[in-house]
Amino acid sequence: MQAKLVLEELKKCGITHVVGLPDNSSAALFSLLARDDSIRLITVTREGEAFAVASGLWIGGMTPAVLIQNTGFLESGDGFRGTALRMRIPLLCLITCRGYARNGVRAAGGNPAQRDVDDFSRPDLDSVALMTEPTLDAWGLPYDFLRTDADLAKIPEAFRRAGMESRPIALLATRDMS
Amino acid sequence: MLTKEQLLRPLARHRRDAILVTCMGVTRPWGKYSASELDFASADSAMGHTADLALGIALAQPGRKVICLNGDGSMLMTLGTLATILEAGARNLVLFVIQNESYEITGNQPIPAAGRIDFAALAQAVGFRRVYSFEDGAAYEEELPAALSGDGPVFVAVRVEKGSEGPISRSRKEQAHYLKVSLAESAHRLRRVLAAAGPFTSS
Repeated sequence: MQAKLVLEELKKCGITHVVGLPDNSSAALFSLLARDDSIRLITVTREGEAFAVASGLWIGGMTPAVLIQNTGFLESGDGFRGTALRMRIPLLCLITCRGYARNGVRAAGGNPAQRDVDDFSRPDLDSVALMTEPTLDAWGLPYDFLRTDADLAKIPEAFRRAGMESRPIALLATRDMS
Repeated sequence: MLTKEQLLRPLARHRRDAILVTCMGVTRPWGKYSASELDFASADSAMGHTADLALGIALAQPGRKVICLNGDGSMLMTLGTLATILEAGARNLVLFVIQNESYEITGNQPIPAAGRIDFAALAQAVGFRRVYSFEDGAAYEEELPAALSGDGPVFVAVRVEKGSEGPISRSRKEQAHYLKVSLAESAHRLRRVLAAAGPFTSS
């Protein structure tokens, strides 16, 4: 997936700030954002901060988006719940997904509680990929996937839905951006 | 050590057009001194994220002061926010840390390293250039106008007596004006108020 195309879609949506923490999958987009004049990049120290900072930006009149990895999303639980979700902030959340490439079709896989505990320690599976979608479901965050450049039209769709329903909406990027 | 009244009454007098964000043990008491539509209670929210929220508001409203009354237990949860504030260059943010050395809402259990943490030194070490530390009501009242003026970010550590506030709800039974509506309604209302006010520059 091309980072420059993601950036173009964010600009079309009128995103004013991207709040987040880089990972290998989003590094190219962070690099573009750091040099961009029209969208301000706010780098946080922990992903839970991102949802609170973004919520504050929205309260103040801006149009933020959050950009974090799925590991950081797991970390951000109460920050997400107690700010963006509970405040009904229309917020586009781009979540890059570690582990999906390694796990392949076994990435998501239903309810973690019904998995064999051995799955979470298997070296051939990334446990965060096993937990990402069930966690999104449990936390009330609707999501769709960005797998290729052809999926980038989902960015404005998700942005519109977030605004119409006044809630955060996530897009899961399962491939590295370049 | 200040009482909450010594902390809040001068603040109500000097905050002018600032947005003021509260949390934890000062949330209800602040309602005794202010009914401003620019008040926001980070209550029924996420503990530890009040300063983050205030930072976002400050970045969105660069012409207006944003005062955040954070608790010491809350600050310890997200010390990294101090670095984020510095990096983001929030010149209009005044971040208070109310030091009562305890988790007041749950019965005043001591915070880790209670009485041994120098929050002002922490802020200085991160890079805050304007740092105030108060243990005395008279000195606080005298220096507060200076702390609230000029470019920040400003960090203000204030030692305050332990209180006895219990869990905070959001309902019509609460006395504080900003606790009578839901968190979502409060957030959307403040956005509307700020939008209606338009671009603003603190005097």
